[in-house]
Amino acid sequence: MSGSAIRRIVIVGGGSTGWMAAAALSAVVGRRVQEIVLIESSEIGTIGVGEATLPTLRAFNGTLGIDEIEFIRKTQATFKLGIEFRGWNPQRTFFHGFSDFGPDLRGVSPHQLWLRTRAAGDDRSYADYSISTVAARLGRFAPPIPDRGSVLGSYSYAFQFDATAYAAYLRVFAERRGVRRIEGRIVDVRLRPDDGFVEAVLLQGDQAVGGDLFIDCSGFAALLIERTLHAGFEDWSKWLPCDRALAVACARTAESAPFTSSIAHQAGWQWRIPLQHRTGNGHVFCSSFIGEEEAARTLLANLDGEALAAPRLLKFTAGRRRESWKRNCVALGLAAGFLEPLESTSIHLVESAIGRLIELFPDRGFEPKLAEEYNRLIARSYEAIRDFIILHYHASGREGELWRYCRNMPIPEGLRHQIELFEAGGVVAVYDSGAFAEPSWVSLYFGLGVFPRRHDPMANLIEDAVLSGELQRRARIVEGAAHSLPTHGAFIGKYCRAAA
Amino acid sequence: MSEIAWRSARGVRSIVIVGGGTAGWMAAAALARVLTGTPCTIAVAESGMPAAAGVGEGTIPNLREFHGFLELDERDFLNAAHATFKLGTRFRDWGTIGRRFLHPFGPYGVDVQHELFQAQWLKRQKAGHPSPLEEWSVTGLAATLGRFAERPVKEPSPLRHLSHAYHLDEALYATFLRSYAEKRGVVRLSGEVIDATLDGRGLIESVRLRDGRCISGDFFIDCSEAGLLIEGRLNSGFRDWARWLPCDRAVAIPCARSGDPAVITESTARRCGWQWRIPLRHRIGNGYVYSSAHLCDDEAAARLLESLESPPLADPRLLRFKAGCRARAWVGNCLALGPAAVSLEPLESTGFHLTQTGLGRLFPLFPDRDFDPAVTAEYNRLTALEHEHVRDFLILHYVASKRDDSLFWRDCRAMSPPRTLAYKRDLFTKTGRIAMLEEETFAAASWLAIYAGLEVWPERHEPSVDILGSSAISERFEVMRGIIRTAVEALPRSA
Repeated sequence: MSGSAIRRIVIVGGGSTGWMAAAALSAVVGRRVQEIVLIESSEIGTIGVGEATLPTLRAFNGTLGIDEIEFIRKTQATFKLGIEFRGWNPQRTFFHGFSDFGPDLRGVSPHQLWLRTRAAGDDRSYADYSISTVAARLGRFAPPIPDRGSVLGSYSYAFQFDATAYAAYLRVFAERRGVRRIEGRIVDVRLRPDDGFVEAVLLQGDQAVGGDLFIDCSGFAALLIERTLHAGFEDWSKWLPCDRALAVACARTAESAPFTSSIAHQAGWQWRIPLQHRTGNGHVFCSSFIGEEEAARTLLANLDGEALAAPRLLKFTAGRRRESWKRNCVALGLAAGFLEPLESTSIHLVESAIGRLIELFPDRGFEPKLAEEYNRLIARSYEAIRDFIILHYHASGREGELWRYCRNMPIPEGLRHQIELFEAGGVVAVYDSGAFAEPSWVSLYFGLGVFPRRHDPMANLIEDAVLSGELQRRARIVEGAAHSLPTHGAFIGKYCRAAA
Repeated sequence: MSEIAWRSARGVRSIVIVGGGTAGWMAAAALARVLTGTPCTIAVAESGMPAAAGVGEGTIPNLREFHGFLELDERDFLNAAHATFKLGTRFRDWGTIGRRFLHPFGPYGVDVQHELFQAQWLKRQKAGHPSPLEEWSVTGLAATLGRFAERPVKEPSPLRHLSHAYHLDEALYATFLRSYAEKRGVVRLSGEVIDATLDGRGLIESVRLRDGRCISGDFFIDCSEAGLLIEGRLNSGFRDWARWLPCDRAVAIPCARSGDPAVITESTARRCGWQWRIPLRHRIGNGYVYSSAHLCDDEAAARLLESLESPPLADPRLLRFKAGCRARAWVGNCLALGPAAVSLEPLESTGFHLTQTGLGRLFPLFPDRDFDPAVTAEYNRLTALEHEHVRDFLILHYVASKRDDSLFWRDCRAMSPPRTLAYKRDLFTKTGRIAMLEEETFAAASWLAIYAGLEVWPERHEPSVDILGSSAISERFEVMRGIIRTAVEALPRSA
C-alpha cells in the first residue's frame, strides 16, 4: 500500500444511498482502509417509499455477492419488466420494457422493419415484438434463461422494493464487514485551514469524526458538498418544472404487477409501484400549476387500495451538483443531484457513481484530475438521463398548462438533435447508453406518437414476403414465450415470498 | 436478388461516385453489395489515366470486417492486392533516438480487463519489475518472434487474441474492388470530372466530364483527391490541423524485396518527419513523410534513397497533402469519403479505415431525395468526433517525443496540443488512466502502447490498483506472460 493511501472513509448520512456506499466500499476497499464509518441520525427520516429500479441494480447486488432470493424476501421486492405509461399519450397506454423489439434483419433495426410494414398498411403494434411488454401485459414473469439467442433469454428485469428495508439489509451487510455506524446529528463541519479539505464533521455533543475521504449522502441537505464546499448546483427546472411530490402507500388489492405504472395527471404524474405487501404511490407535480391540496386529492382519488397513512410532501429542484466530487468529498444520491423518478433512475445513479468512485479511487493526494474525470463522466450520465426524461414531457400530446409549457419550451440542443433525427428517418442517436439504449428511446418515441417521416430505405431491400413472414413469426414466438411464463404472483409465491 | 421495389417514392435512384481510387471503389463495392437488385444505379467517374503503382498501404484489423461484409474470399484478396499480413507497427527513434517499440493489434493480457492489466503493468514498471509491453500481447509477441497463423482460433486458447491486418498495394486493391463492383452492375465512366451544376435547392444536379458529357444523379459521393464537389462546389470548409501535424509531403520509392516479407510496418522517425517501410509480396514500399517547412523535396528524396535496403524499383514519387478534415463531410446530396473528407498522414494506417467507417455510418443514415439536414448533421457530428480522436492519437506521437536533434522535433515538442489531447495526456500522467471519449478509433491498449513507447509515464500508479483485486492480478500476472509465450511459440513461423 502506498504511504498516502486513504485510511478512513466517513459516510455522512444513511438511507439507501449511504448504506449502498457503505456496503460497496466495505466489500471492495474494506481491507485496504483502516476504517469506514457511517454517521446517521435516526431522527432524520429517509426518503424511500416504494422504489423502482433499473436492471443494473442486479449487477450491483451481484458484485456484493448478495443472494437475490434473500434480498427479495427482505425488501418486499417484486419483479419489474418495465414501466407502463398511462395518459402520457392521450390516444393510448404504452410500455417501456427492459427488452428490445427483436434482432436486426439484414442490418436493419427492428423498429425500422416495423415502420416499413406499417407504411405498407400492417396495423400490428410494435409492442407485439417486445417480450417484456407482452409478458407484463399478461402479468407474467420468470427470470430470463441464460440463452441470449432465445426470446426467453432476450429480456432483462429489475426490482420494485422498499428502499428503507434495502437500506436496513445493506446495513447488516456493511456492519458485518466492519463498517462502524455512529448515531448522531451533524452540527458543523471543520475544514483544513491550508487547503479547505474537509477535516472532520462535528456531531451534537461535540464529538468530532475525522477522515481522509468524505462521502456526502446527506440528501437534499448536501451538508458537505454544498453547504460547506459550495460545489454549486446546475438548475434544470426550466426543462423539468415539477418540483413537488406527495407520497403515500396503499393496501395491495390485487396480485402485484411485474411493472411500475406512471399515470399522467393535469399538472404532473403519479407513480404506482407494487411491492409484495403494499403499493407505493406518489404524485409528482409542478407547484406553479396545481396546489398541494388539490394534488393530494388527485393522488388519493387514484389509489387502488386504502391509503395507509397521510401523504408525505417532498420538495425538490431538478438539477445536478456542478462538481459532485470536490476536494476530498464525493456526493452521492440526492446530494449529487435530483431527477424525478419517472424512469426509476435514482438508485441507478447511486450505483454508477459508486462504481466510478471505485474505478477512480483516490489516495490522500486527491489528484484533481481524478475528480475532473469523475465529474465529466457523472455529468454525462446525468445529462443523458435528464434529456430522456425531458422527452417524456416535451413530446407528450396531453392537454393542460404544464403540458403546453413543456411542449413549447426550448429543450437542450442535444435532445433537439435527437428528436429531429428520429423524426427525419427513425434514426436513434444515443450519447450515453449507461442507462437507456436504443430500444428505450424507440419505446418512448413510438409510445408518445413521435414517428419518422420515412423509414430506413435499407428496409426496402427486404422482399415483402420475407419481411412479413419474419415479423409474423417473431410476434408468434413472443406471444407463445410470454404465455409460457408463470404469473408474477405465482413465481413470487413459489420462490421468494417475503415473510408477512 | 429477385425483383425488389425500391419502394419509397423519394428513394435515391442514382448514385454518382466522383473519383476512383481506393475510396471510390470501396464505396462502389459496398453500395453495390447493398443495392444490388434495386433500381438505384451506381456510377463511378474516374479519369482514364492508368492507375500508378501503389506506394504500399498499411491497414488495421477492421478492414477484415469490411471484407466480411463484401463476402470476399481472403485468398483472392491477398493474391489480387499482393497483400501480406500485418500484426502491428514497429516504431524506431520516435521518443528518443535508438529506442524502439511496437504498437501491436489486439489486447494485452489474456482474459483480463484492460484497465486492470494496465494498472498492474504500470505499477510493476515503477516497482522495478519492468517488462516490454509487447510481451504481454499475443499479437505483439507473435510479431516480435515472427510467428503467425491466420486461422481464427476459438476459445479458450489465448491465440484468439491474435489480430491481423494487411499491407497491400492500394492501386491493385482498387482494381480488385473495381472488378467486384463492376460484376455487380456498377458502371465506370472514364473521364475526369471538371465541374458540377447545382439546382435551386443548392443540391448537385450533375457533374460534367472533360469531354463534355454530363452525368446527373440523386446522390453524389466525392472521392476526389481535392474535394472537387464538397469543397469546390459546396464550400464545406476545411479544418486545418497543420499547426499540430506539420508534415505535408511524402516521397515514396519502392525497392526490391529481400527475404521473406515481415509481418509489421516499420515507422522510423527521421530528422524532419518519419519513414515507412511496408513489406508487400512483390516489393517493399518506402516513404519519407516530412514537413516542407523543414526539409526540401530533393533532400527528402535523397535521404530516402540512401536509406533503402535494396535497389530502388522506380523513381521517387512526391505526394502533397495538408493535415485536416472537411468541416462537414456531408453537405446536401454530397458525401465526401477518403482524402476529400479527411487527410491524415499514414502514421497509424487509418486511411482505409476512415473510408470504411464513413460507409459504415452512411448505411444506417442512408438518405432519400429529401436529404434531411438532421440526418446529415448526425453523420457530420459522429464523423467530426472520430476524426478528432484519430488526429489526437497521431499528434501524441509527435508532441510526446523527447527528440531535440532538429528544429522539426523542437517545434513538435513546443506545440500546445488540442484541448482533448491535453486532457487525455494530463489524465494519464497524473492518474495513469486513459480517457475514452465518444467515437474513439483506437482502444485504450493502443494509447498505452504509444504512451509507454514514448516513455510518457504516470507520476504515480492508480491507487485503485491496490484495491481492485490486486492480489488476484499480481499472482496471475507472470503466469499470464508464460501462457502467452507458450501459445505464440507453438505458432508456425510467419513466412
